[in-house]
Amino acid sequence: MYEHFEHTADLGFRIKSNTLPELFEQAGLCLFAAIVERVEAIQPNLERQFSITGTEIDYLLFDWLRALLLEADEEKLVFGKFTVNLTDNGLTATAWGEPLDDERHLRSREVKAITYHEMLVEQTDTGWLAEVIVDI
Amino acid sequence: MKGAFAGPLEQVDSCCFRIPKSFRKDMLVDGLIFANEKLIQSIRNDQAPDQVANVATLPGIQGASLAMPDIHWGYGFCIGGVAATDPNEGGVISPGGVGYDINCGVRLVKTNLFLDDVKYHLRDLIKALFESIPAGVGRSGKYKFDPKETRQLMGEGVGYVVNRDLGVPRDLEHTEGNGFIADGDPEMVSDHAVRRGSDQCGTLGSGNHFLEVQVVDSVFDADTAKAFGLEHNQVCVMIHSGSRGLGYQVCDDALASFRDAPKKYGFVLPDRQLACAPVDSPEGKKYIAAMRAAANFGFSNRQLLMQQTREVFANVFGRSWEDLGMELLYDVAHNIAKLEEHTVDGKKKMVWVHRKGATRAFPAGHPELPLQFQLTGQPVIIPGDMGRASWVLAGSAGSMERTFGSTCHGAGRAMSRTAAMKDAVGRRIDKELEARGVIAMCSSRNGLAEEQPKAYKFVDDVVDVVHEANLSRKVARMRPIGVIKG
Repeated sequence: MYEHFEHTADLGFRIKSNTLPELFEQAGLCLFAAIVERVEAIQPNLERQFSITGTEIDYLLFDWLRALLLEADEEKLVFGKFTVNLTDNGLTATAWGEPLDDERHLRSREVKAITYHEMLVEQTDTGWLAEVIVDI
Repeated sequence: MKGAFAGPLEQVDSCCFRIPKSFRKDMLVDGLIFANEKLIQSIRNDQAPDQVANVATLPGIQGASLAMPDIHWGYGFCIGGVAATDPNEGGVISPGGVGYDINCGVRLVKTNLFLDDVKYHLRDLIKALFESIPAGVGRSGKYKFDPKETRQLMGEGVGYVVNRDLGVPRDLEHTEGNGFIADGDPEMVSDHAVRRGSDQCGTLGSGNHFLEVQVVDSVFDADTAKAFGLEHNQVCVMIHSGSRGLGYQVCDDALASFRDAPKKYGFVLPDRQLACAPVDSPEGKKYIAAMRAAANFGFSNRQLLMQQTREVFANVFGRSWEDLGMELLYDVAHNIAKLEEHTVDGKKKMVWVHRKGATRAFPAGHPELPLQFQLTGQPVIIPGDMGRASWVLAGSAGSMERTFGSTCHGAGRAMSRTAAMKDAVGRRIDKELEARGVIAMCSSRNGLAEEQPKAYKFVDDVVDVVHEANLSRKVARMRPIGVIKG
């Protein structure tokens, strides 16, 4: 599950999950739920593969979100479904989505960048918790 | 989120407060915040003073870690922050000290029209501007540059678009540094960044970016206003935008490449978002080359926004833009780092001045200013909020003595975007603005609510401080009559 929270000039993501791959999948969904109002309307019509190296979990999450944002911004796509596999030296992932459609997806915000500010990834009693602030 | 600043804020004079370097062991210099008694109360309640102290730890920092009165929280550096570093003393360059929107800035375009000439056409004018000028998230512009052309544009600055008849050569003289920062290298800008920006040159973007039709509300310095060509009730256009997705990506690329710099170059950072690297390191050099190229894209973006504005006015009023006197007063960058000569401890030296939400404010006689501003000092354009006011200032001598030639950049936020949204529930911001005599059009549902006047400090309070501190002086107060936003 994920939620957006208030931050001085920008927007925070709070993501909770039972497993680490699920944390990354939910983080992807959280990002696109910030960009469009109707993330559930995104159809899985095309797919993109991602491969990210890194062993520090917070940087890995940061780089995953950066990669998604860049792909979406450059190709004018939105993604609504994700599968993430964590490997010994990083992650491989697939994201499904389609070209952004202002009418159906209702674009709400421009996310300029993912930031390190007060970034948090930690294990909790029930699973995982992450917080990320994005620049809007 | 942390609470108010708990450290010391010692009053230096009526418009300056000090965080002494004794506050923290890792501070190399003092922090100085330019503010008066009234503003310092709200500044204290923010994390921004902690960020001023954090910046004071950067290797090679000179003088003091400075903040302008529009200071508020930002990523790594506070917004309104100024810091100079000396490459010969291990000085660093920091993308966090420039910001994601490299060369975000503002320009003021004059007209020879007066309030009475436009008041009956105002709605048509604002509607025509709104329909013609791309604003809002992801909107493409009418100017398309392929990757090779985008790189050429970054290599040549505003001159590149002027050579394509999108402006006139005299526009260059009225742009900071002639709309061109030398020694950039467009090849150091990633393909990703070029693709993010290729269809965005000449687009306004979203967030706090805007295009406003304003009138000169009052003149404070008659001689300088006359030299700038400003008089009471004259219509002007203020344009606020930056380097769009291209700049964000250059910053993002640099933050990733600077990740290991503290370990590699042996320093400690109190905040990861302060990412920096020595000016002379391979990472530092690459960022500087890319940042300069992205800055040239930013100047060109505002040039193309101005050119579209000129075309719209020409259509609405049925006269050429030249005939309407649509001359650029000046264009300033307020998110940038520049290598400049300054005097530190009595010695002249070249330093890297980071201005993040701060504006260059060179005084009369500064060798970098063109002839027409040698006697007045550089025009400084300060956007306020869309309901109350904006300002035209001129650089004053105190800026060279106290702030590495810098002054404030705007009003500074007083409310978070979310708080502003909540505050606007059940209200029609466009109707409220109309009641104040401002016609506002916005492409997003949230834009006007997030950017409502109340969300900002009162810009007059900010300007009072920089005027009193002799960083820049009041020339004319501008009042909005129309605004378009993303």
